[in-house]
Amino acid sequence: MVKINEYIESGILEAYVLGSASKAEAEELLYMKAKHPQVLEALLELEMDLEHIAQRMAIIPPVGTWEKIEAGINEVVKAKNSDALTLDMPFEDRGGRTKSRKSSQFIEVEAESGHMRIRKIWRWIFAGVFLLGKIFLACAIYFYLENRHNEKELEQLKNELKIHSPR
Amino acid sequence: MLKMNQQIVAGKRSENIRFLYDKYAGMLLGYVVEVTKDRAVAEKFLVNFFCNLSGQLDEHEWDGLDNWCQLQRLARERLEIFMFGTHRTEADRPVNLVMHGARDKFLDRLSDEQRHVFCEVYYYRKSIELLSSELNKTEDSIRKALKEAFAIMRKGGEN
Repeated sequence: MVKINEYIESGILEAYVLGSASKAEAEELLYMKAKHPQVLEALLELEMDLEHIAQRMAIIPPVGTWEKIEAGINEVVKAKNSDALTLDMPFEDRGGRTKSRKSSQFIEVEAESGHMRIRKIWRWIFAGVFLLGKIFLACAIYFYLENRHNEKELEQLKNELKIHSPR
Repeated sequence: MLKMNQQIVAGKRSENIRFLYDKYAGMLLGYVVEVTKDRAVAEKFLVNFFCNLSGQLDEHEWDGLDNWCQLQRLARERLEIFMFGTHRTEADRPVNLVMHGARDKFLDRLSDEQRHVFCEVYYYRKSIELLSSELNKTEDSIRKALKEAFAIMRKGGEN
């Protein structure tokens, strides 16, 4: 009992609550706290003292401080949830290229850039459509020119006929 | 649906932080002002600290018994990084250990040695070992000075 009182009076408890006790002292104190209720009681009393000291040295925060904190908390929650949403998606839906947490954050940036992912088969379909378009265009120009040429010839023939026909 | 969940989470978190803020923000600001010696920096730290706390709230138990000690411990760790980065030197520390206003009255009851030991440990997290070598005194005597400082301050508070 005397030893416990000596221990409590040694100042180790004060050093511990202020975070300046060494690792060995802290370990010893945790052991003593668990074993001796007097130590636990003294420690709780000290924690209360510390709170009272802080209360008497308190400064009221300026108006608007809580609003700033609240806005900050909402930002933190928003950022966390958007991160969680990306991570909860299956890998193939995240873009399929990367599987790391860091790279998955780029999905949104890519979506905003205007890029679009399509199946490879569409590449050949687009190429076919493009080629067919070119062929139709070439045919159209060819037939147009041919038609114009024929019309000119016809006009020429008509004129010749007019000249050679008897009056 | 997701937006609704976000609002619920944000609301709950904000409510818990508000409880801690209402009870301890003033105490924390008083403490930080003494460490930083700069009211504007201390207020900025306070906002930053509570915002970050919302992300760590679930990592700690807030049963009410040692809320203040826990909060102060977290603040002290963060304050050191906030003020000095990861490499702190003695030269970085704000000068002028003189206390102001109500705090003056409170610490005036202590002897020079008690005040020095208390302030170095309470505000600047100095270890008993370091103080003992700095003051060229035994660790026991440093602990004794700290204990006496606590006892005087407790007595002062009761009056």
